Amino acid sequence: MRSMLRLPVLAPLGLLAALTATGLAQRSAAPPARASAAEATARIVKAAQAVAASLDDAGRAKLQFAFDSTQKTNWSNLPTGIYERHSLRMGDLTPPQKAAVMTLLETALSPDGYRKVIEIVRGDEVLRNGGPGGGRVNFGEAEYYLAFLGTPSTTTPWMLQFGGHHLAINLTLAGSAASMAPSLPAAQPAKYTFEGKEIRPLGRENDKAFELIDALDAGQRSQAILGSTVADLVLGPGQDGKVIQPEGLKASAMTPAQQTMLLGIVREWAGIMTEGFAEPRMAEIRANLPQTWFAWSGPTTNGSAAYFRIQGPTLVIEYAPQRTVDHIHTIYRDPTNDYGAKIAAK
Amino acid sequence: MLFAGAVSPTSAHRRDEYLQAARLAVDPDRVRVELDLTPGIAVADGVIASIDTDRSGAISAAEAQAYAAIVRQAVRLDVDETPLVVALSASAFPDVAAMRSGEGAIRLTLTSALPPLDPGRHHLRYRNAHRADIGVYLANALVPENPRVDITGQQRDVAQRELIVAYDLHPSRPGSGVVPFAASVGVAVLVLAALAWRRRRIS
Repeated sequence: MRSMLRLPVLAPLGLLAALTATGLAQRSAAPPARASAAEATARIVKAAQAVAASLDDAGRAKLQFAFDSTQKTNWSNLPTGIYERHSLRMGDLTPPQKAAVMTLLETALSPDGYRKVIEIVRGDEVLRNGGPGGGRVNFGEAEYYLAFLGTPSTTTPWMLQFGGHHLAINLTLAGSAASMAPSLPAAQPAKYTFEGKEIRPLGRENDKAFELIDALDAGQRSQAILGSTVADLVLGPGQDGKVIQPEGLKASAMTPAQQTMLLGIVREWAGIMTEGFAEPRMAEIRANLPQTWFAWSGPTTNGSAAYFRIQGPTLVIEYAPQRTVDHIHTIYRDPTNDYGAKIAAK
Repeated sequence: MLFAGAVSPTSAHRRDEYLQAARLAVDPDRVRVELDLTPGIAVADGVIASIDTDRSGAISAAEAQAYAAIVRQAVRLDVDETPLVVALSASAFPDVAAMRSGEGAIRLTLTSALPPLDPGRHHLRYRNAHRADIGVYLANALVPENPRVDITGQQRDVAQRELIVAYDLHPSRPGSGVVPFAASVGVAVLVLAALAWRRRRIS
């Protein structure tokens, strides 16, 4: 994994070299820009099978769960030590095994989605290197976990689950259909420097939302802005199956340009999946745009901590700063298709 | 390759607050409040101490019931300014270790029966005053499951300790009461006719 490889002072040079080589090889075999959903599924299954093949029996036992097992909901924003995950731990893998996992993620996610995942994990390394988390809390790249629920297949439903502190990717595949709901990309720190570059894992989400609130007129803002503080995610981990009453400004009351901006925000989450899945998902969200709402809580000047929510018939996105701009929780849901409920039933 | 980010990884998560998240389900004849209470690590010991009153290190059923009753008393519900009786219908407490780590959430379900309401606009007010010294609050209405209820607005105070849900209560669907009545009358007529016919044959 090119990111985890570059993590400072953590990995031996041999590991770095091995992983870098694997990553480069993977990039050279990068998928075509526009791949169909069926092709995407086939590539992901192949990469998943490669992960399983790289493990011994004990590793595969940690990796593999039944599709309907309780592992499905074994995800959280919390770090190890506060929340225990039961699947395959990255810190227990050999360099080739880890490289196979990263190839799988790179295959299953879009380039931007993969970047976000890497930057979130890298941010956790920043936390780890900044000092102990306190008590028995463990941060860092070793504390991310992979699980397969069901057997990777191009025809029958299965789920790829990857996550750790501030990250949960739950990607259900059923033939050529996919759902990435619920997923939780979050960040702390939300801004850090890596190799001389400023990294903001969720920076575009933040900036695009501030651009939209800035583009609203006074009347629209008065509808969009809630008069209360939203301290955290309303539909975070453990809130599966809940549908709250939508609030704010309806997209049907936006101009076409504002609607395009709204869809641009949504794409930051829906586009984490590889393009073959993201495009049909965006088409579905676009079709429901008239019934989609945008709500805001907090200041409207970028650089401030502000909460926002986008909610439609098949979509919930929440972006919730934790009192500070440097600690962000977000959630992405599809109330009709969390854990692939809709596509797995077909 | 070294990280140069100037960050101070002090708190990974909410530490010194007591998150109290409520979701309200409104039906024509009742209200259900799902209330999740999650103390942060820094305040967990204090919250645990107020539950584990015998200091046994575990939360007994009686202690859980007693604490749930305290929370219930701090929750106020009224509809159109008429106070409602709030009852505890379910509770689940995590173990002390989970709560102490900041992960454990106490989950309470509170319910109130609504008085008979005429069709039209109504206002349901929810207020939670539990542990205002450390509490942060979320309050949201769920999308009603009953088609007779349409939520038209939600108003909160800044801290979300209070939520007023405005909703329209629609009349029962036309025919929903008429059809069973008509069916009953029909059956009665048939029975009477059968009896009359039988009586005529016997005579």
